Amino acid sequence: MKNFASSLPVVALALLFGGCQNVNTYENAESRATPNYVADKRVITDNTLAGAVRVVSINQATVSGNLLKIQATVENLKSSPRTVNYKFEWFDQDGMAVNSPNEVWKALPLQGRESTTISTVAISPKAVDFKLKFRE
Amino acid sequence: MSKKLTGLLAVGALLALTGCESPTETRTVDSRGPDTINTSAINTQDWSNAADQLLASLLSSEALTNAPRTPAILAVDRIINNTSLMVDTDLLIKKIRVGLTQTGKIAVTNTLGLGERAVVASEAAELEEMQSGKKQKTLVPDYTLYAKLIQQTDRNSKLTQNTYSFQMSLVQVKTGLTVWEDEKLITKQTKAKPAIGW
Repeated sequence: MKNFASSLPVVALALLFGGCQNVNTYENAESRATPNYVADKRVITDNTLAGAVRVVSINQATVSGNLLKIQATVENLKSSPRTVNYKFEWFDQDGMAVNSPNEVWKALPLQGRESTTISTVAISPKAVDFKLKFRE
Repeated sequence: MSKKLTGLLAVGALLALTGCESPTETRTVDSRGPDTINTSAINTQDWSNAADQLLASLLSSEALTNAPRTPAILAVDRIINNTSLMVDTDLLIKKIRVGLTQTGKIAVTNTLGLGERAVVASEAAELEEMQSGKKQKTLVPDYTLYAKLIQQTDRNSKLTQNTYSFQMSLVQVKTGLTVWEDEKLITKQTKAKPAIGW
């Protein structure tokens, strides 16, 4: 009985810190993006994930004349390898989602302390804003 | 008492004969992942991932910037499947077509190539030709799209590794030159099952 009682805090801690699969959202703070680095607005709902993987910077460019390209630099803050899932979403001038059949969650394997870039191109010239989502 | 017992026996027999079938548990998941089933084959997420990466590469290359007209006409060439999987290559090509069409820079022709054929549209064009007496003008494509899927399997005592290669090329018809090409890889490792299970 004593052993059971002493193990309860451990179980509670494990439940508290383990297994969260919420989404962290990163989006540009200004709707009219400026070239190169983008000032981003961050909504953190999974502190564990945010403490393990962070977005260092987000920059944008225009390709093929009028299509937006977004690139984010992502860093693994831990020493152990980690795989996270990410997804880009696009929005038009009126804030409406610009859907694409290729808008899927992608797995991103990161080595310990590795920083790498992820990118995507909007397939519609209507896309002016983006959201970058992360989850475990 | 005997009536109750008979009733209970009857209910028991009914349950035994009809069987207590447990309902199949099915849930709808987001086909865009990441809760979709991951297998050693190419799953829904993999097709979309490959299509997205190839599209991003093509659009970033500026190959379509110097197109002779907008939208440029694209014919889908052969799509070779050299994997061991029996898959419909439209799982890749349709996503590329949709993406390119949405950019407004490409219109895909249905009268040339091995791509998707619009049968009714062709019949309607023939009917129009017959009724008007004028030969319909077929637009010559500016570009053709060629793709190939390759699978490489490697094994050791613990793992089986499948690497799927998605190769794609855009050829300018006027010059015959490849103006863009790229290859995207998706590698999957599966733990080998023990020969004898306990």
